[in-house]
Amino acid sequence: MKEIQEKLEQLLLNTQKPARYIGGELGSVVKDRDKVDVRFAFCFPDVYDVGMSHLGMKILYGLKNRRENWWCERVFMPEKDFEQTMRENNIPLYALESLDPIRDFDFIGFTLQYELSYTNVLAMLDLAGLPVFAKDRTDLAPIVVGGGPCVCNPEPMADFFDMFILGEGEEVNVELLELYEKMKPSHPTKLEFLREAAKIEGVYVPQFYDVSYNEDGTVSEIKPNTDNAPARIKKRVVKDFDKVYYPDSFVVPFTSIVHDRAVVEVLRGCIRGCRFCQAGFIYRPFREKNIDTIEKETKCLCEQTGYEQVSLSSLSTSDYTQIEKLLSTLADYTDKENINLSLPSLRIDNFSEELLEKIASVRKSGLTFAPEAGTQRLRDVINKNITEDEIMHTCRMAFEAGYGTVKLYFMLGLPEETDDDVRGIAELAQRVVDLYYEVPKEQRASSIQVSLSTATFVPKPFTPFEFEPQALPEDINRKQKLILDTIKSKKIRFSYHHQPVSILEAVLARGDRRVGKVIYTAWKKGCTLDSWDEHFRPELWDEAFEECGVDKVFYANRRRSYEEVMPWSHLDYLVSRRFFIRENKKAHMAQTTRNCCEGCSGCGITKEYGGVYCGAAKKSEPAN
Amino acid sequence: MAQPKNQSLQIERWDYRLTFAKKGRARYISHLDLMRAMQRAIKRAGVPIWYTQGFNPHSYLMFPLALPLGTESEVEVLDIALTEDWDCERLLKQLNSSMPEGLYFVKAAAPVMKHIEIARAEYEISIGFDIPAEKALELFEQFVSRDVIEIQKRQKPKKGRKAGFKTVDIKPHVNMLESSVKDGRLYIKLTLPAGTELNLNTGVLVDAFCEFAGAKILRIYTKRTKILCKNGEEFI
Repeated sequence: MKEIQEKLEQLLLNTQKPARYIGGELGSVVKDRDKVDVRFAFCFPDVYDVGMSHLGMKILYGLKNRRENWWCERVFMPEKDFEQTMRENNIPLYALESLDPIRDFDFIGFTLQYELSYTNVLAMLDLAGLPVFAKDRTDLAPIVVGGGPCVCNPEPMADFFDMFILGEGEEVNVELLELYEKMKPSHPTKLEFLREAAKIEGVYVPQFYDVSYNEDGTVSEIKPNTDNAPARIKKRVVKDFDKVYYPDSFVVPFTSIVHDRAVVEVLRGCIRGCRFCQAGFIYRPFREKNIDTIEKETKCLCEQTGYEQVSLSSLSTSDYTQIEKLLSTLADYTDKENINLSLPSLRIDNFSEELLEKIASVRKSGLTFAPEAGTQRLRDVINKNITEDEIMHTCRMAFEAGYGTVKLYFMLGLPEETDDDVRGIAELAQRVVDLYYEVPKEQRASSIQVSLSTATFVPKPFTPFEFEPQALPEDINRKQKLILDTIKSKKIRFSYHHQPVSILEAVLARGDRRVGKVIYTAWKKGCTLDSWDEHFRPELWDEAFEECGVDKVFYANRRRSYEEVMPWSHLDYLVSRRFFIRENKKAHMAQTTRNCCEGCSGCGITKEYGGVYCGAAKKSEPAN
Repeated sequence: MAQPKNQSLQIERWDYRLTFAKKGRARYISHLDLMRAMQRAIKRAGVPIWYTQGFNPHSYLMFPLALPLGTESEVEVLDIALTEDWDCERLLKQLNSSMPEGLYFVKAAAPVMKHIEIARAEYEISIGFDIPAEKALELFEQFVSRDVIEIQKRQKPKKGRKAGFKTVDIKPHVNMLESSVKDGRLYIKLTLPAGTELNLNTGVLVDAFCEFAGAKILRIYTKRTKILCKNGEEFI
């Protein structure tokens, strides 16, 4: 530690935002290294500013550090300038609390939040001084473990990890570390430990599974090569969500980060079932916390951190069964304390005037809607059950309340999309502008700005669209141009997603183990921080694909049959394959499916997982 | 029409001048980040902070003098206002109850002087070079005894002027108090102009010396030791 600290002290004077690399923030947990038995390096494979905003890390950090003899520390990907400085000065990747090199830790855990962070994982292992391939790390420790949403198809990263954790981490992390703590004194081999760990529900050890392929390149079979590993690995779900551990304090950073505020999780899972949305399925079932719990956690966090902003986190906050009561309860506290209460992830359809007032009472910023598709027909295809009337109704309320900026998010390249749907995006934006001018001058804001933004649709595993091909780049380019040509008003600003990024995401999201060598090759060529426009090097990725003989089109743009063995078919996220096929068929017929609150649609999740609506035959009115 | 949130309320305020230390890991906090860190620290401490009266109320904090990133200090000044009359000891104790490592308050008192009275600051600098310390001392004494000490000062772009560098003679502004060799390193104690009129960073002087001596810094440690008024008294 001393050695690294001394080196850092001098080097940081010439580094951008040095506070990111030295730790010491309020709320960071420092323990006596001689008195801990298990050391865990929680790595977020992106820069500090992004990683520090991640709620999952805050939860698991607090959870592990509750145990006196476990020490969990934070590690982030350095910026390119500092990575070079570290390499030039022989500073191995260290953890921010102890400033100790993480290669000496018991566990190195990565959270895989998005595919474009994959090369950062390799870069961080390498910076730590460890071999990137799991097979080359033969000692018991450090054990490299991965979690997070991308782990629902971790196959492209399978060669680099010793194990993955599927689903929610609050319980399984504790079980895993307890097992390690118990076995460590007897000095087991890595294999011996992995064999025991594989018995824990939710733990996936990729080396215990063999993958075989068909002649056409598709997967033929994935099967365990040892008795210790289950044929299918089931994701973990916290059944009693109201009682789940939640941190009473956050590490409060000095430098500004992306989400620099207190965050309280109000619910998990989503009732909606939008067919493109992976989060909507892999986090099922829908569970929520009691108002008392949320209130208690909000107060505690604000008091401990000193944050003047608190945000409610969920996939769709307005689906909270007692949202109005929750907000008035919280507003009583936040108003008194001059704390800004923010509500991301609100849906248009149940957006009431009262709700709007509550958000506006603190600070009037813009409104953001995600209709996702330009016409009702296409919104039915993707099961985004909002109507244009609802959008217009909400916008009118917003304009009357003095809002002047509206952001509209759409996707391009959705299944069943026609040019009419694409033009519909621009036309919808135009109608929003027109609506603004209908509101009397005295009421409306002084100007209107509608920001239109489109992202390219990326088909993801564990969604009804996992079978769908991604639209070809030429097609997307043409559609982007079509929108530009349709926009007439200067009040509409249009921005769109960088093409090669979406294709790469599509390949990595639905890739198999053979894609791993492309990731390795791209990293070797210098690709890291791919999610940053200024660092993304599509030409190097193209070289890597070519050298490895891997065809992007095969993974991204090919329609997969309902019978195809998917690379992730040995993983069980509780929602059934049958349901996805049914949903896919309905999508092609532009038929919608009711949400969980209106009645169960039989996704395959059973009552026992604690879902609020699971097993409900028809719409039940939640008590308000 | 929207009204400022607490416009109608005339809330009484009590002003305090806090002296704080910024040491160890905390010295890498930039000035802008320090603002935020202090705001949060005060919020956490639960002291009744006075909020500005306007559309966007925020807690009132005023730093009269910025501390360069990387420099240590135990004499930094932060002015705050409370809505209640608190005893200084109590305020100090309460504020220090939840501070991040390396950041703490050493004194609380009623403000005596005005910010514009700040004129100079005293620094101690210890530097290890890639040349022997004795040699560095010899060169440094030559360097500061010259008639003119020229540095490159960065200029902000203004109307009709591009951003760039201007050569400035800082000799009249440098007041050397001591230069010697301590613990095998060059040790300098000096005062430089600080405050609203003219502000000189120790970095520019050290950089100019490095260029003069053709030496490279291996280790540098800078500490601000006093904030001074025109007449040489400490700012209180």
